Amino acid sequence: MTEDQPLTPEQQDNLLAAELALGLLEGDEARAAVARLAEDPDFAQAVRDWQERLAGLAESLTPVMAPARARQGIREKLGHGLAPLSEDPNQRRSWWRSPVGALAGLLAVAAVAAFLWLPGQTPPIPTSGPDYQAELVSEDAALRVAARLEGDEMEIALQQGAPSSGRDYEIWWIRPDGSAPISLGVVPQSGSARMTLPEGLDPSEGIRIALSDEPAGGSPTGQATGPIVAIAELTRL
Amino acid sequence: MQDARRLKLEEMIARTALGDREAFEALYDATSAKLHAVCLSVLKDRPEAEETLQEVYIKVWQNAARYAANGLSPMTWLITIARNRAIDRLRARSSRPATASTEAAATVASSEPGPETATIRAQERRLLDECLAQLAEPQAGAVRAVYLEGITYADLAQREGKPINTVRSWLRRSLLRLKDCVSQ
Repeated sequence: MTEDQPLTPEQQDNLLAAELALGLLEGDEARAAVARLAEDPDFAQAVRDWQERLAGLAESLTPVMAPARARQGIREKLGHGLAPLSEDPNQRRSWWRSPVGALAGLLAVAAVAAFLWLPGQTPPIPTSGPDYQAELVSEDAALRVAARLEGDEMEIALQQGAPSSGRDYEIWWIRPDGSAPISLGVVPQSGSARMTLPEGLDPSEGIRIALSDEPAGGSPTGQATGPIVAIAELTRL
Repeated sequence: MQDARRLKLEEMIARTALGDREAFEALYDATSAKLHAVCLSVLKDRPEAEETLQEVYIKVWQNAARYAANGLSPMTWLITIARNRAIDRLRARSSRPATASTEAAATVASSEPGPETATIRAQERRLLDECLAQLAEPQAGAVRAVYLEGITYADLAQREGKPINTVRSWLRRSLLRLKDCVSQ
């Protein structure tokens, strides 16, 4: 195919499907293409084929663990993880909005969260491999964070120290092969948190865990932007 | 391996559709880091990506029942929702009109894809990187930037210092080449 050869009608159609899948169409062209989806099964299939093909690009992105509060936010917005509704939802809303109610609600959420996260309370997790741990201590020993891994579950506990105001310590998973560090989210501001390791991360000796100093919520780019404050290798328990 | 994973995700979505919160949590565990990476790639802002991620899973919970009929593989369905949400938010920032919803494509029922389709798709996936590498770097980079960063023809035109129509026909040629290469 040369650059100047005109496109066949089939090629034109397929490219329209690609542009719709990519979100590149605007205005009337976009509206017409969306309307066509419902009427033209072949066109709809072409769009799906492009979505499949292109999703491969996203599959190659390095996974970045979201902070635990994201999951909690979803639970709260869907009404999961709260006590079963025993009253009218509208009434509950006004109750929730009163200051005392809000505090009670927060405590309830915290209690549920603690229940869901406490290691002793959750059903035993079937662990496949050995357990690992890492003790992360800053050079001046002001910061101490303990990581403990059981299978694909990791518990991270802030034992001493705290990030400065408006900052968070972000947890990184570093493979010995020199590939880009993978974010596992941020260290809780106090106490401990449990998380499930993303697919494809298997604990083993040689893996190092590092903490970097980042803006609140974690690095805005997906890669460490602040200094590494502590680093340690995983050791078998 | 890949098949086992797909079946596992399909089952999680099917159970989520029935209101199974445990299955929904398991789906979150298995996929949220990837979808978070998609949101971050488009938005390049942690708090916004985190908020978008929450919207994505709320949508997944609400639309899981419609998944079975759309014929997409589970990861493609999830990635497409995440990408569309992130791009809508990106365009809202610059008060650009929201992109035409490609989710519409995902809601049009299709015949159940047979094992043959799954095999072809898996093969296309494997070839994707190879075929991108065969395009010249500006072209491959443009395809990646459009998909992973949500850039538009107007952005691309500005970046390349060329008229919109020129970059459009240039990108379309690249897409065609890519398709011919992966489906050879």
